[in-house]
Amino acid sequence: MAYETKLSRESRGGEPTPSATRRTFLKAVAGAGAAVSLSSQFSWANGEIGYWAKDLSDDKLKEMYATMLRIRWHERTQADKMLTEPGYRGYNHFYAGQEAVATGVCAALRNKGAFEEVDLVYSTHRPSGHALAKGVDLKKMCAENDFRATGLNKGYAAEMHISDKSVGFMGADGMIGPGLVMAAGSAFGIRARGSKQVSVVFGGDGTYATPAFHGTLNNAALLDLPFVYVLENNLYHQYAHYSYSCPMKDIADAARTYRIPGVVVDGQDVLQVYNAAKEAVERARAGEGPTLIEAKTYRYYNHWGAPGAKPGELGAFGYDPLAISSFRPEREVRAWMARDPIDIFRKTLINWGTLDQAKADAAEAAVKKEVKEAFEWADKQPLCKPEDGLKNVFVTGSVRAAQFG
Amino acid sequence: MARKSWMYSVLEAVQYEMRQRKDMVWLFELTPPVASNPGKPVINLEKEFGRTRVNNTGIDEMWMAGATLGAGLAGVTAVTYIPYQGNGMCFQMIQNHAGKLRHMTGGDAEMPIVFILEMTGQTPGFAGQHSDYEIDTYYAHIPGVKTVIPSTPRDAKGMMASAIRDRNPVVYLYPAGLRNLVEEVPDDQYETPLDKAALRSTGGDLTIVSSGAGMPEVLEATKRLQESGVGVEAIDLRSLKPMDTETLVKSVQKTKRLLTFDQSYYTLCPGAEVIARVAENVDGARYKRIAFPDAPPPASPEMFLWMRPNAEHIMGAAKQLLG
Repeated sequence: MAYETKLSRESRGGEPTPSATRRTFLKAVAGAGAAVSLSSQFSWANGEIGYWAKDLSDDKLKEMYATMLRIRWHERTQADKMLTEPGYRGYNHFYAGQEAVATGVCAALRNKGAFEEVDLVYSTHRPSGHALAKGVDLKKMCAENDFRATGLNKGYAAEMHISDKSVGFMGADGMIGPGLVMAAGSAFGIRARGSKQVSVVFGGDGTYATPAFHGTLNNAALLDLPFVYVLENNLYHQYAHYSYSCPMKDIADAARTYRIPGVVVDGQDVLQVYNAAKEAVERARAGEGPTLIEAKTYRYYNHWGAPGAKPGELGAFGYDPLAISSFRPEREVRAWMARDPIDIFRKTLINWGTLDQAKADAAEAAVKKEVKEAFEWADKQPLCKPEDGLKNVFVTGSVRAAQFG
Repeated sequence: MARKSWMYSVLEAVQYEMRQRKDMVWLFELTPPVASNPGKPVINLEKEFGRTRVNNTGIDEMWMAGATLGAGLAGVTAVTYIPYQGNGMCFQMIQNHAGKLRHMTGGDAEMPIVFILEMTGQTPGFAGQHSDYEIDTYYAHIPGVKTVIPSTPRDAKGMMASAIRDRNPVVYLYPAGLRNLVEEVPDDQYETPLDKAALRSTGGDLTIVSSGAGMPEVLEATKRLQESGVGVEAIDLRSLKPMDTETLVKSVQKTKRLLTFDQSYYTLCPGAEVIARVAENVDGARYKRIAFPDAPPPASPEMFLWMRPNAEHIMGAAKQLLG
């Protein structure tokens, strides 16, 4: 199917619809409003946001670089396994291309400490990047994604549903919408407890259309919750361009409805993401309420699995049999890959003297080795016991096996 | 007549009805109503009928179900296709509105509408929120809404035609695990009743009752049992509400042995209703009920495949009933 956005499909079809007219109207209104009266409601990256990355230590910057590399090489290694090892059962909704978003946000959070001290992160059906950035153990995640008994969630969860309370990674919400509300609910609980934690949710451009998006921001704003909504706009929800579900170019514009800051950042620049997240998190922790951050980004693989990808190569191009609404053109994928978040950060760190070429190469080699060993460890882990499927339904005991009659 | 896939058969029925009713609408989410089939023209409802009638917006199943209901109340025949992950998000609109409005309005409300609810729970590795076969029970419980669940492409087409023509709201469950089934399906439009179970085999020793994605396992076990000399009456419910009590009772009056088989959770699974109705009307019968345990489907294929009811389980339970 040809590449198209909603508007191009409607205009090409020559069939003016009421919704198209209304969309144009809303666009004009949104644009005018932003220009005239809302500058105080908006913080723009590279503008009103402070360059808080100025205060990051060299060690912290190197750690962030390693995190981005870990996310990238975990995915590349797993994609290669999916493509070349017929016996490998794991799968993924790949995050490659979006590493700067998870890394920049989580760098502004508390990730170590007691459960009532760490900041909480709620993730999406594309969770492995968020998980690694929050500090989830790579080996155990690899094992979980391969359905092993010693995996992160003992084989009950697998890729779209992983969680790790020990680092405040509250879990991947495989649906679109409910995770937002739960995350705001955690912020509500935190505020009542007075524990100075912040609750962060990652969501995609597809969340805008859900009732949950609006209910979450409205209630978080009304209650001044310690909550940050990081909306990763990678242009496509599953296979549909976001223009099918949102009347605005910048989804962050929605924040003005709820009288909270709506910030657009370049999701390919980890430091811009960090700057925005740092402000939002400090605001939330100080009791000043929620922030919506929209990170403009892109994924290098298709929605699910590795169709169109080749072993040893980054990204997926060409035909995806599942891409039934909008087909991502190869040139669009390659244009985004030319602004690769890891390349951008590497150049910045070398420019700052934090790393040199040799040290940057060494960091990458170390991460590749770590990832390789993690998958090797996972491969050796035991499979689940069938009857354990009856456990963990309630706090104690097992349910009855009903399948035998 | 040609061999047709499930979705091609369904869209063929919808296409026919949309050509007859110039205002009939179809709402989808991320699954455009497009199907192809060897030797047949591609069906693309969006292209044929335009985006005023065939439309998607964002991921919002409450909108999809509510808009379908509202269109129906305004006198427009409407169908929506809600994908499996969202088939509980629309529950309020169907349970508390569609199911009650005719009664609340003293019979005035018209609802020529169909909610196609995709359901899964058949795929090892999907797990958790991506496994949701249990909605058969939830929707069948609602008064004022017919809940049907075809198990073959041929029934899928005929029951879609009937559902669209029915003036009541119809929940049309689509077990996605059956998407690869192919069989001979007539080209012309035809109706398959929404209140009649289907006998898939006849026999005098044992009645096995199932529906939807349970049927392939039932048919396999039936074949094996028949080959070993056991007379099996395999009944495909096809409609959970209304439930065809007469066919069930007649069969068990003859066999005196009833085995129900569900992919839904054990507690209140459709088989529980089947057994209750038969027990009220048949004396001296023996019963067994196979269902998915009362546990969410785990990701690990080792756990999941052990828990998921299959033909082997039917063989074991049948042996106990016959012994």
